[in-house]
Amino acid sequence: MQGSIRESTWMVGVATVVAMSAATAAFAAGDPEINLPPQPAEWAALAQLPDWSGVWTPTLKDQDARMKSNPIPWNAAAAAEIAKLVAAEKAGNPKGLFVNCLPEAMPSWMLITHNALEFLFTPGRVTLLGESDGNRLRRIYTDGRPHPADPDPTFHGHSIGHWENKTLVVDTVGVLPETYIASSEAIGLPNNGDMHIVERIHLVGPDTLNDDLEISAPHVLTRTWKTKLILFRQRAKKYDIVEGVCLQGNYSEGKDAAGNAVFVPALQSEGGNTLPEGK
Amino acid sequence: MKFKLLCCVCVLAAALAPPVLAHHSFAMFDFNKTTTFSATVTEFRWTNPHVVLLVEASPKPGAPVQIWSMELTSPGNLTRMGWSRKSFKPGDRVELQFYPLRDGKHGGAFNSAKLLATGQVLTSSLRDAEKPGLK
Repeated sequence: MQGSIRESTWMVGVATVVAMSAATAAFAAGDPEINLPPQPAEWAALAQLPDWSGVWTPTLKDQDARMKSNPIPWNAAAAAEIAKLVAAEKAGNPKGLFVNCLPEAMPSWMLITHNALEFLFTPGRVTLLGESDGNRLRRIYTDGRPHPADPDPTFHGHSIGHWENKTLVVDTVGVLPETYIASSEAIGLPNNGDMHIVERIHLVGPDTLNDDLEISAPHVLTRTWKTKLILFRQRAKKYDIVEGVCLQGNYSEGKDAAGNAVFVPALQSEGGNTLPEGK
Repeated sequence: MKFKLLCCVCVLAAALAPPVLAHHSFAMFDFNKTTTFSATVTEFRWTNPHVVLLVEASPKPGAPVQIWSMELTSPGNLTRMGWSRKSFKPGDRVELQFYPLRDGKHGGAFNSAKLLATGQVLTSSLRDAEKPGLK
């Protein structure tokens, strides 16, 4: 028994040394398949980036105005579908695009959200964390990697970025075809695949950040659509980003038979509006 | 006792409820129409994606008391406008102004509420609070 323990310990030791050697060799050779451990100089270099700290909230007045002054260039088939959605909304029966609580995803997170977000800078990456819908998260790799040849489609796609002076230029592909290009929570259509998004994110004032977007979606748009998200900054600690779990709204707080605190399904209309129980 | 009754109603309602849906458009509300009435808060749900204020009111004098549901934006957005999960508590008397549901059901989009005990007015328009650096 002791022998086998000694033997396995020895084997683990050898395996560790072999693995460490392989990793060291990979680092030394600059193996592009390995995430290298950040060096002190890379952490120090982050201090040279523009200051995007704080909580950033979208400017809704600008969202409202921009969708009218610079509408989405839908192709004929898409425009016909959009007209039906607009008519349904005007009739008071809007189609809720996000009522299932799946992520607003790209590009709609950067187009129509009402919720705040924050940026995290770490070596080789910029991370966006959104306030609501606990699943709003974008990883933008700034370590020089290319897109994968055939990325697995995801809600936010595969994003690579680089800094041009004080502007973060982001290129995104690999977005699920089901994610919406939306002008509101009731008006929008799936991108239907092959979407490509280029963003230029930069400060335009002490507390104003612009995300200039170029969205190409060849199956639903007639041309690359250029638009913009304007965010304003708040720094008060009491306004820090809070947890937001979209599905929580489907429940109210109750007790089970044993007196445990449990979530009880809330009564909601077909459109997602919370209704008083029993009405 | 009242809570138990509420729970029972809750379970019954859940059994009858259509598939639950949360994150919705506000186009279901009639923003051309404002309704005002005095009400008593029965519940304040400080939850994402939409905070909900439930009140008890007689919309017309002499009419039976009804429960109405008011929807608001998210806790994060409301926090940045000075609200907290303690902004309302059950029993608070309020004068409520809201945009009603277009289908006539007992719900609306919250516009403002005046707490009758203190005179404090709470509003929730995000567009009126788009300023950086708020303290």
